[in-house]
Amino acid sequence: MSKPWLTAFFAVFLVGVVSLVAAGCGGSSSSSSGETSAGGGGGGGGEPLTVGSDIPYPPFEQGKPGSYTGFDVELMEAIAEKIGRTAEFQDTSFETIFRDVGQGKFEAVISAATITAEREKEVAFSDPYYLSEQAILVKEGSEIKGIAELEGKVVGAQQGTTGLELGKEKANASELRPYPEGPDAINALKAGTVEAVIIDAPVAQNAVEEEGGVEIAEKVPTEESYGIAVAKDNTELLDEINQGLEEVIEDGSYTTIYQKWFHLEPPKQIVG
Amino acid sequence: MSEFFNQYFNFNVMGEHFGDVFVAFLQNLLVFAVATALALLWGLALALLRQLPGRKLMPIRFLTITYIDVFRAVPILILILMISGGVPFLTFLPQEVRIPHWFGRPDPFWYGIAALVMVYGAFTAEVYRAGIEAVPRGQMEAARSLGMSHFQAMRHVVVPQGITKIPAPMLNELISLLKDTTLISVISLSEAVLVSREVLAERLNSSALTLTAIFFLVIILPLARVVDKLIERNQLKIARGSHIEVA
Repeated sequence: MSKPWLTAFFAVFLVGVVSLVAAGCGGSSSSSSGETSAGGGGGGGGEPLTVGSDIPYPPFEQGKPGSYTGFDVELMEAIAEKIGRTAEFQDTSFETIFRDVGQGKFEAVISAATITAEREKEVAFSDPYYLSEQAILVKEGSEIKGIAELEGKVVGAQQGTTGLELGKEKANASELRPYPEGPDAINALKAGTVEAVIIDAPVAQNAVEEEGGVEIAEKVPTEESYGIAVAKDNTELLDEINQGLEEVIEDGSYTTIYQKWFHLEPPKQIVG
Repeated sequence: MSEFFNQYFNFNVMGEHFGDVFVAFLQNLLVFAVATALALLWGLALALLRQLPGRKLMPIRFLTITYIDVFRAVPILILILMISGGVPFLTFLPQEVRIPHWFGRPDPFWYGIAALVMVYGAFTAEVYRAGIEAVPRGQMEAARSLGMSHFQAMRHVVVPQGITKIPAPMLNELISLLKDTTLISVISLSEAVLVSREVLAERLNSSALTLTAIFFLVIILPLARVVDKLIERNQLKIARGSHIEVA
């Protein structure tokens, strides 16, 4: 490098980058510690319970780092409080979430995760905390009225989800597109590149209410329920979570959270 | 440790899904072939626009340079997301352009190619430019003094000499393009990474990703050796006293 000013420019540039990175790290660590102490004040204190979740998936999980919210998030926080710990959420990718909880990247998973036999080979699930339905989401005024009419259509779903499985089994679509995140599929629907999206009913409901331009053509019951997952050998935590869930259901806070996020009464199978 | 090997080198999973991943990898190669052809043409066009002479054509040179700078800076992933999420809403365009299904290929295929061509057009333009600028000025001047127009001189004298200098750096760009075809998975094109990740979701095992990586290695390693050979050949030429080449 023969030109001194070029050398000087690079030096300044590098120093700038390094200081930005350093400032970024400092900022995020201080904000996360601030969040922890605030959560500790509200909860039972205790050591943090690390929870993995694929965010965003409204209304189950949404919000920005440090202030996640949603049905799953509030329920998990309530359960954690019952067992004397503070839930700390980590945003992660759904396809790898069970592998990662098995490997101990976080202690528990609450991520609108359906309990399946396949997944139970890898992780242990709590008692069901939510009963799931799939929805066929279409554009407003679409001629598609249900899953039977998806034949020959281009259909979207989220990768690794029950919606995608349902599409493979029952939709007979000309093309079934797996998107990395649920909102990607809904955006593709609004853009018109897919004609229908198969997705969890509450997520579809949320899209209808929040975004508009789309409607639910049909709800398909799947006899499936959501559970909180922990590593297979972590039976101690699993018992604590089940105990906490029971307490949260009994004292009515489950119903409060359910109504807040779904505007519906919780099903009898869960609140008994 | 054994969990690591099971997670990434489970040969049962690789074997069972070999066909799926291979078919998906062919999709990567098809995207690569189409995008390469278009990017090489688009890049050459940009490079020539950038070399236009005279004060009057300054705005065109300026626009070209701006284009090249912008599209070399924007991450392809963002461009892919913006095109697939934005173009369908450009209602002034006809339906078959907004949501293209040309030649029976789905729209993510074409959105992805559009993004790759836009970015790699800018990168290849810079490679062409290096080749063109390495041709001694006298060549252009001699051609012009024979009565050729600027375009004729480019077409018959400068570009033919310029492109002999650039195969090695151009191949590097194309290797990079081939790898970037995997980014189109984000808009649900069933290429190798997306299919591997579906296998991961289904089997909770990442070995299909390793298999995809092996496919890429098999294609790209020989190309890397070709690049080495080309550079070596160039250096030999320089050693023999030919003028300096770009490599």
